[in-house]
Amino acid sequence: MKRTVYAADKVGFHILHTLFQTSMKYDRIHRFDEYFVTSLIVDGGACAGVVAMNLRGGTMVAIQGKATILATGGCGRVYEFTTNGFIKTGDGMALAYRAGVPLKDMEMVQFHPTCLPGTGILITEAARGEGGYLVNKDGERYMQRYLPSKMELGPRDILSRAMIQEMKAGRAFEGPYGLYMGLDLRHLGAKKINERIPMVRELVEKYMGLDPIHELIPVRPGQHYIMGGVSTNGKGETTLPGLYAVGETACVSINGANRLGSNSLSECLVFGAACGLAAAGFAKKKASYPRGAAAREALKKEEARVFDGVLGRERAKETVAGLRVEMQQLMERDVGIFREESALADACGMLGKMRDRFAAVGLADKDRVFNTELTAVLELDFMLDVALAIAHSARNRRESRGAHSRTDFPQRDDANYLKHTLAFRTDGPPRIDYVPVTVTKWQPVERKY
Amino acid sequence: MAASDVVFRVKRYRPESGGRPTFQEYTIPYRSDMVVLDGLNYIKDHIDPTLTFRWSCRMGICGSCGADVNGQPRLTCGTYVRDVHKGAVTVEPLSNFPILKDLVVDFDDFLRKLASVTPYIVRKDWGDLTKEYVQYPEDVEAYRQQSLCINCMLCYAACPVFGSSPEFVGPAASALALRYNRDTRDEGADARLARLNTRTGVWECTFVGECSVVCPKDVDPAAAIQTLKFLATMRHMRRLLMPGSSSR
Amino acid sequence: MPMTSREYAWKRRPGWWLRNRRYLMFQLREAGGVICALYGLVLLNMLVQLRAGESAYTAFLDLLRTPPVLYLNVVLFALVVWHALTWFMLIGKAQPIQFTRQPLPWKVVFGINVLLWLGVSGAVVYLIFGGI
Repeated sequence: MKRTVYAADKVGFHILHTLFQTSMKYDRIHRFDEYFVTSLIVDGGACAGVVAMNLRGGTMVAIQGKATILATGGCGRVYEFTTNGFIKTGDGMALAYRAGVPLKDMEMVQFHPTCLPGTGILITEAARGEGGYLVNKDGERYMQRYLPSKMELGPRDILSRAMIQEMKAGRAFEGPYGLYMGLDLRHLGAKKINERIPMVRELVEKYMGLDPIHELIPVRPGQHYIMGGVSTNGKGETTLPGLYAVGETACVSINGANRLGSNSLSECLVFGAACGLAAAGFAKKKASYPRGAAAREALKKEEARVFDGVLGRERAKETVAGLRVEMQQLMERDVGIFREESALADACGMLGKMRDRFAAVGLADKDRVFNTELTAVLELDFMLDVALAIAHSARNRRESRGAHSRTDFPQRDDANYLKHTLAFRTDGPPRIDYVPVTVTKWQPVERKY
Repeated sequence: MAASDVVFRVKRYRPESGGRPTFQEYTIPYRSDMVVLDGLNYIKDHIDPTLTFRWSCRMGICGSCGADVNGQPRLTCGTYVRDVHKGAVTVEPLSNFPILKDLVVDFDDFLRKLASVTPYIVRKDWGDLTKEYVQYPEDVEAYRQQSLCINCMLCYAACPVFGSSPEFVGPAASALALRYNRDTRDEGADARLARLNTRTGVWECTFVGECSVVCPKDVDPAAAIQTLKFLATMRHMRRLLMPGSSSR
Repeated sequence: MPMTSREYAWKRRPGWWLRNRRYLMFQLREAGGVICALYGLVLLNMLVQLRAGESAYTAFLDLLRTPPVLYLNVVLFALVVWHALTWFMLIGKAQPIQFTRQPLPWKVVFGINVLLWLGVSGAVVYLIFGGI
């Protein structure tokens, strides 16, 4: 059985554009381009749509719907160094979280070992699959110290951790963006590089100004994916009737504590279809559109919160860019590849304080039309919620499993932690709870290479 | 201005203040590896949070950060300041589009044009949907180039024909039409050629070729349009000479 | 729906074709087409002069041999060559020529067309002048 399908080295790109273009076939699909969702509408214990800001018109609108699907992707921007785009701020996760839906397994954050320093551009696994070496500043293939049986073909989490250990041991290169390791493709030769991994060469030439045929590619680990997300079942249903989540936003738990390459795309195809069918079925069964009262009330509340509240705050010492960078650096340092109790405790405390400081973030741009400073503030608001859920989930899991690596608890502890973390939002720190793992065909065994 | 600084001249338009677009100058620290987008973000984060522009992936794949840099449409994430730095870097919204705010332009018209070329596979009979539609590598190669478009709209900003006749379907939408016409699974070629053989279709193109020069993904829309002119002519002749012939 | 009333409509600048060299070359090519068509009228006029008698025809030929007209010919010839080359560059892209799995690169098609053009021109010159 094949685990995934390919469209050269641009699988996600082609899925995205084919989906977008094919959506034009159906005139019943009404796109709201450049609307920024600020809140879900909850009516009588069910999701009844969203409140969104129309960026071009500068107005707030309520969009009612019998079923709502969150498909906002991941939350990589809570970290300083990520392969994710600027818009990956965990909005969907935070929206569901605020509506009372738990976030599952948020401590499970995947770091990809080979990203370009500075930009975070991802150098695909294929570079190592085709025979690329990872080397330290002495030119040594250092993976022989950590995973001699697999070397560079080891899993992402082990490669990322090995990089950090090499850096700590003083065997890394030093550049304008900090420490980095070398990805060596030179022995593959021009022909193989051009035929098998042309995109790698293109990206490195364009965004690093280096030619991998003749030079080492500087790489370092970066946040890439979050296995956790809005807790859903296999049909994308959340605990809130009428609310669905899919893709990286959701956590169906097919990725466990460590995702395999390409599974996120298979996940989108398989659970995207399942979720769409479930949501359509739900909407069909629902007799009428939701009553308007809840939507009107939610709209009024959001207008007051966003336009009168957030937009009304005068710019002062606390800025959105400043607080965002502080949060990102904190997450990188204390809730990153290696974690331990004192750093996590510190991060939880600091993030709590940032939550309070956020109330003092003021804005210079007072326009309602296309105010990207305002959307940045609202995104930071979402990211702080998500970061708190990640930090607290990580602090409470006192073991190492998959991508979650605790230096103070280096062993996996199935007796106590063979279970999913659930984070619930409260007015204070998140409430952490657990649910059992459903074990079917494959019994958990020790991870060995 | 220190030697390690660079001046960004950025065109500003504030819809809520009215008036005409004006230039504003910012002096920012220069690094040899900075791209134009880095400069804009430096301004946004450290000098002027009101400066408004779109961006996301900063690796030339999302297609949202296009702007005219020193008069030429470019992706700001893929344009090094060191390559365009001639005293100052001038950044303006993409030409030929209405300005919403600062560097943000209205792309609705472009999306309508994409939709107008039926940019999806058309079939009378889909057959067994559980089976794969097999394509050989050369089948994919036939349309691969046109399928790499990222909808960044630089080609529209570069097209003087689009600048003077806004109804022209334009480069990216035409290339997309050719992408589907060359797909062995598709049966909608005839309708697409009919749409492109109109007053707003491919015949508007006078082959300036600038669309292909600015394209960051080497889609070569200019060549796609000339191919479509040829195909549209062949279709027309076939219909004239053999009225009863099949559509493909 | 977005409020479009506050958008700033884009206006094309009058000197847009001076913005870069390629726009300028395009304008030259297009203008060259018009000028070449006008020159066609000059050649038609040659027939009119021929019909008017030998002296009129000789006078017209003498006029064509004056330096300003010769310079004009050089310029027009350059424009025609430029026009032709731009279309040769296009042929391989617009109608890919395929003998094997991979279509011929456009540069090869361009080269073949240039060679064919030179060959045909040579043949015409030979036919008319019986050698160069």
